[in-house]
Formats: sequence, structure tokens, C-alpha cells
Amino acid sequence: MIRDAIRLGLLMALLLAITALTGIRSGLGSGVVLAGGALLLTGIFAGKVAAQTGLPRLTGYLLIGIVVGPFALGFIPKEGVAGLDLVKGLAVSLIALTAGTELRLGLIRRVGKEVARVGALVSLVVFVVIIVAMLLGRDLLPFMREMTWPQAVAVSALLASVVVSFSPTVTIAILQETRAKGAFSEFLLAIVIIGDLFVMLVFALAAGVTKALFGGRFELGVVVGGIGWEIIGSVLVGAAIGFGALLYMKRVGREIPLFLSGLCFVMAELGIHLHLSPLLLSLAAGATIANLDEHIAQRIHHAAEQAGLPVFALFFAAAGASLHLDVLLVVGPVAVALVLLRGISLYLSARAFGPKRAVIRENLWMGLISQAGVTFGLAALIGRSFPAFGADMETLIIAMVTLHELVGPLLTRRALANAGEIREHARSGAH
Amino acid sequence: MQVLLVFIVVFVLSVLASSRWLLQWGRFFFLAQLSASGLLFLVFGALVGPHALGLLDVSALDSARPLLSLSLGVCGLLVGINLEPHILRRLPLRAFVASAVQSGAAFTAVCVPMAILLWINTPLSPSGVGGAAVMLGAAASVSSAHFAVLWYRSGRMEHLRGLSVALVAMLDDMFGLAVLALALLFASATSPALGLGLVALATLLGLTCGALIAYLIHGVEDGAELTAILLGGAALVAGAAAFLRVSGLLAGVMCGATLALVGGTQATRAFRALGKVERPTYLLLLFLIGAHLDATDWKAWAVLPVFVALRFLGKVVGGRMATTAAKGVLRFPRELGYALVAQGGLSLCMAIEYLLLVPRADSQLVFGVVVIAALVNEVLGARTIGLSTARPTRPSPRPLPSREAA
Repeated sequence: MIRDAIRLGLLMALLLAITALTGIRSGLGSGVVLAGGALLLTGIFAGKVAAQTGLPRLTGYLLIGIVVGPFALGFIPKEGVAGLDLVKGLAVSLIALTAGTELRLGLIRRVGKEVARVGALVSLVVFVVIIVAMLLGRDLLPFMREMTWPQAVAVSALLASVVVSFSPTVTIAILQETRAKGAFSEFLLAIVIIGDLFVMLVFALAAGVTKALFGGRFELGVVVGGIGWEIIGSVLVGAAIGFGALLYMKRVGREIPLFLSGLCFVMAELGIHLHLSPLLLSLAAGATIANLDEHIAQRIHHAAEQAGLPVFALFFAAAGASLHLDVLLVVGPVAVALVLLRGISLYLSARAFGPKRAVIRENLWMGLISQAGVTFGLAALIGRSFPAFGADMETLIIAMVTLHELVGPLLTRRALANAGEIREHARSGAH
Repeated sequence: MQVLLVFIVVFVLSVLASSRWLLQWGRFFFLAQLSASGLLFLVFGALVGPHALGLLDVSALDSARPLLSLSLGVCGLLVGINLEPHILRRLPLRAFVASAVQSGAAFTAVCVPMAILLWINTPLSPSGVGGAAVMLGAAASVSSAHFAVLWYRSGRMEHLRGLSVALVAMLDDMFGLAVLALALLFASATSPALGLGLVALATLLGLTCGALIAYLIHGVEDGAELTAILLGGAALVAGAAAFLRVSGLLAGVMCGATLALVGGTQATRAFRALGKVERPTYLLLLFLIGAHLDATDWKAWAVLPVFVALRFLGKVVGGRMATTAAKGVLRFPRELGYALVAQGGLSLCMAIEYLLLVPRADSQLVFGVVVIAALVNEVLGARTIGLSTARPTRPSPRPLPSREAA
């Protein structure tokens, strides 16, 4: 561990020297590649140090991103981190595609109904608890003080729909890092994906109603159509892409790493331009491949796993570098209160409505704590769509996600360990 | 969306480039040579770029700048590691002299006349003319030995002679890069002293990163982890160079050379690991270089024949001088210069580096000449490699008429 810590220290010393040189060089160039290289390298070694101290590698990636990022030591330029959005999109698609190759029809048949029931009930409890808490404490939130009751209810519902959201990305990353396999892992993965479908649905409805109450028009057809397109369209387009990928693998089968990178890139960009969910799109593509040809799915899974280390290290270190620590200082107390409330709601509802198997029921809440990319995306959408209160609410959500990103991976790993599904070599932190 | 287009085009071309059917079909149109060396990507880049079909506009090229910087860094790192210090240490001095003589001859043959041509025809300052002419000379001095390698592998050239050509081509990379540093010293800053400082900064950055990467990969057994660290290292050195606006290519080469020098056996593993991403990176780089080309610039086309002819002359004369200088040490083909006509990828990297770091109107001219010349010299090199080994034809004895024989 000492050797890896020394390596990390030397890397940070080099970054410090580069930062110092910017003082004597006028007119700097693009910092995107520097951000990518620095975050990847520091991420890899911080992950190793974290693993050797018993923490998830992912926590190491996130923490080092925060430390070297623009909001702490400032070794990485802010615009450099912003320029990594393309890489982040690609990483989300690759992570979801890999997870999709494990979604077989047999699994959906086996746990589908149970997952849908538990997911809906747990999400509903958190949703209601957060709405009630927001309404009770509306005087503590300056942006809600002047609102009418209907407006306050709609805005609380909007915030609650975002607060409910889970993080499939973090869950998949931890599952891959720990190589966990078993009933709990399957259930957790399925519930975070289903939970996000619920979030999309409720968020779109809440946003439509809120818009209407703040002077806009509420068109149910547009709202339903938007949700339908985002969910069903993502699945259909994803399935078509998966079918195309399968044909390529069968007929051509060359340049697989380049092909996979291109595929993920296409899915990430299509998601943005066609208003689809890149996560669902990639999951559907992976699931289509897995259910039509298991051998090819395994080849893709293997190739994607090979790229797992740099993708995870860069993606999560960049996520850490994007976390606004300054925001946390401003809205910290309210954010902490909401985080605690969400945690307690998840704990109680998962225990009350969880599956019969005790090992799943008792540990599920820990796996549901993480929040990341989807939540950030929704927060940004609120910020853009609601000028009256959007910026304040976005700040609050970002502060919450920051806290969840720090504790979520630790709890997910712990839940997997309690369920006894972590493979031995991953548990010891050896790679 | 345009970046998506770049990726799709690169991917499709990459698959097509390894298609046997296309290679066979393209044999008639020089496509096979251009495809095998990857230069077809350059042509496609030029076609979709802002100066031709316009599918990629200037803003798209600007947004692809990080990719360009990264590709340059990776290529520089690979060139640096490929310098193989353990081979260089064993070489006799005359091998270095031979290489310096042939690349020096090509450099002089291009640089001096070009300096005069630019001095007469452009309103550039003396240091601007010096920088541009030295850059053209640097691009002329480097060469690629891939045809010689193909020939000796297929048994058409004696193994030892083929290796000697490859060695000289490897050594002239060093000469070319030293001259590139000289060109940047003159042209990349407001004064040569500042230019020297920037070149020194790039060198120092490369040395530091190379030593650090060597330490980071020490003892790493896992192949995926090794590749990830190397990619991160390449991005770090290229990114720091791009951020500080110094030469990423020079920094990358210095980084690779340092890694090769102090990395021990891990350097060989590093070369193999980076080799997996070499071709996609190189093809992407060629595509982006092509997209920067303004093929409608008539000045570049006017200078092109002069550049190609002078370089050819320099390579032929330099090759003969090198053969004399290396007598008894290296065995070259009969005409070494003919085997070194192909320009290779390094000259393209040098040209794009010059274009990025020297924001002047004449940079586009220098860049255009070097890029188009690379295509011309590739086609020319495929023809001259055969002449490099050919013996002068002697009149064969006339066969006797059968009746006389009887």
C-alpha cells in the first residue's frame, strides 16, 4: 500500500508542478486531455490504495477526483473536467451495455414481478415522505416560502421524484469490481433499473404539473408521449442497435474494441439527440444480444471487462472532480437532513416490503443509497426548466448527490459482503 | 453530432482497411498501398473536412483538438519507446554517421532552396522563413522503411539489407525530431530565446513523465492495468503539453525514450501493450490530419513538385553518401535512397504539430505541402523500392539459332 501511496503522491507532485507552470505561461491551451490523463492515473492508484484499506475502489476514484479537482486543490482545470462529458457518456453506455449482457429473460421471469412490486412500494414511500417533509419544512427553504400551497405541493413532488432516484451506474460498477454473483446482486441490479423507470415516469408528470402551476400549459398528451418515447423508444432503439451489433459480430467480427467504443459512443450521442435514455438504450442493446446469442454476449462482456479499469477510474474520478464542494457548504444542513430522511425511509420501507428472503430484505436499503448520473441529469433539467426556483433546487440536489456518492459505494459493498456474494479475491482488495 | 460522424467514418474505414476484397480491388488504383499504410484515412479526412465536402466544419475540428493532442502524444510515446536504447548503445559510430548523412542531405536539399523560395515569395520575417524552411527540411529528412521491411519479409530483399534500411529509417527519426525542435525554436514564439524555453519545457516534461511512468508500471503484472496506466501516462504528457502549449510530439518522444531507457523489461511490455492501440490511434490521427488539409490551396500544389523533387534528389545523393560512410558496418541495397522515398507517419505528425503551434498563414502552406507530398511519396516509394535492389542491366548473350547450334 505504501508503494501505491508514494506513486499517488508523486503524481500529485507532478500535477502541482504543472499547475505552478501555468503562472508563467500566458494563454493556456485546452485542459481536457490533461484532465483525462491526470484523473485516470490518480484514479487508478487511489483505487488501489482504497482497496488495500478495505474501501471500494470506487470510493478511492471519487475521493481523488474531489481532491485534485477544481473545487479543492485545483490541479485540474474546470473546463477540462467539463470537456470530459463525452467520455462520461461513453462510460455510462459501456457500463450499461455490459450489465445488459447479463439481463436474460430467465432472470426477468424469475424476479421481475417481485422486483416491480418492491421497487414501486419502496419508491412510493420515499416519495411521500420527502413530499411531507418538504411541506412541513417549507419555511426553512427560501425558494419555497413565497409559493402557494398547490405550487409548494407540485415543487415538493418534483424534488421528491428526483430524491427517489437510484444509481444503476454505481451499482453495476460495484458489482463488477467485487465480481459479486447471487440472488441479492441480481435483485439489487434489477431494482435500481426498475426504480429509475419509476423516477422517469413520476418526474415527467411532476414537471408537467409544476410547469402548469407556474404559468405554463399542462398537456397530458405531451407528457405521456414524452415518457413513452423515452422508455419504450429507448428499449426499441436499443433492441435494434443490439440486433445490428449482433449481426456485425457474426458477419464481420473484427476490430472489437474499436467497434465497442464506437457502439457506446453512438448510443450515448443518440440518447442525447433523440431524447432517449442512454442507460436504457444500452441496457436494451446488451439484453438483446444476450438473449439472442449467449456466446457473443460473453465475448462482448469479456472485451468490456478488459476496458473496465480505465473506464471506471476515469468516469468516477471525473464525477468526483465535478462535485461542487462549495455548494455543500451553502445548503449543507438541509441536504444532510434530506439524506438522512431518505436513508431512513429506504431502510424502513425495504424491511417492510422487501422480499421474503431475509438476506435481501435486511441489506437491500444499503444498496439503494447511491445516487449519481441520472440524478445529476434531472437536477440540471430542473435548473434549466424552472427559472423561478430551479437554480436553488439544483444546488440542493447536487449537495445531496455529493453526500450520496461518498457513502453509497461503501454501503453497497457492505450489503454485498453481508449477503456473502463478494468473491474472495475481490474482498481482499487484490486485483 | 459531427464528432459522432468522425467516429463512424473512422470505424467504417478501419474495417474496410482490413478487407482483403478491397485491397485486391484497390490494387489498380494505388488504393492498396494507401490503405495498407493507413494514408487512405488521410484522403477521407481531407474529403469530409471543411475545405472539401464540409461534413466537418472548423468548430468540429476545434472540438476534436483534444483527440488530436492525445493521438500525437501516443504516437510520440511509441516513437520514443521504439528508439530502443539497448540497440543504439551497441551501434558503431559509423551507423549514426551514415544515417545523419542521408537525412542531412535530404534536409539540406530541401531547406536551403525552400528558404530562398519563401524569402523571395512571402512577406515573412527572417525567423519565420527560417522556421518554415527548417520545418520542410525536417519533414523531408525522415523516411519510412515499411516497404523495405515488406520486401525482406517476402524474400525479395536480403534480410540484412532490409534490416539496415529499417535501422537507418529509425535513426533518421531522431534527426528529424531534432530539426523539428529547431523549427519550433524559430517559429513557435515571438523570439528564439522564448522558443528555446518552450522546447526545453517540452523536453523536461517528457523526461519527467517518462521517469514517472517507468516507476508507475514497475512491478505491474496485470496486462489491462499496464495498458490503463500507459494510456493515462500518454494522456498526461500530451495533455500537459497541450495545456502549456508546447510540443506534445516532442514531449511524447522524450517520455517514450526515457521510459525505454529506465524502464528495463517493463518497457518492452509497455511497447507491446501500447501496440494494441497503435493502429486505431494512428488511423484516427491520419483522419484528423487529413481534415485539416486545404487541398484547394494552389500555392501548396505549386510548391509540391519542387519539394518532392528536391527530397528525392537529397535521398538519392544522401543514400549514396551513407553507403560509403557505412561501408563494412551496414549492408545496404544498391540504391539506399530509393528504399527511403516513403515519408511515413512521423513527417505528418511533425506537420500537424507545426500547424498547431505556429498560428501563421504560411503554416497552412507548409502543412499542405508535407501532407500531399506524403501521399505522392508513398505511391512513388512503392515503385522505387524495386529499383533500390535492381542490378544495372547487362546485355544478355544472344541465343544461338538452332540451326547454327546443330
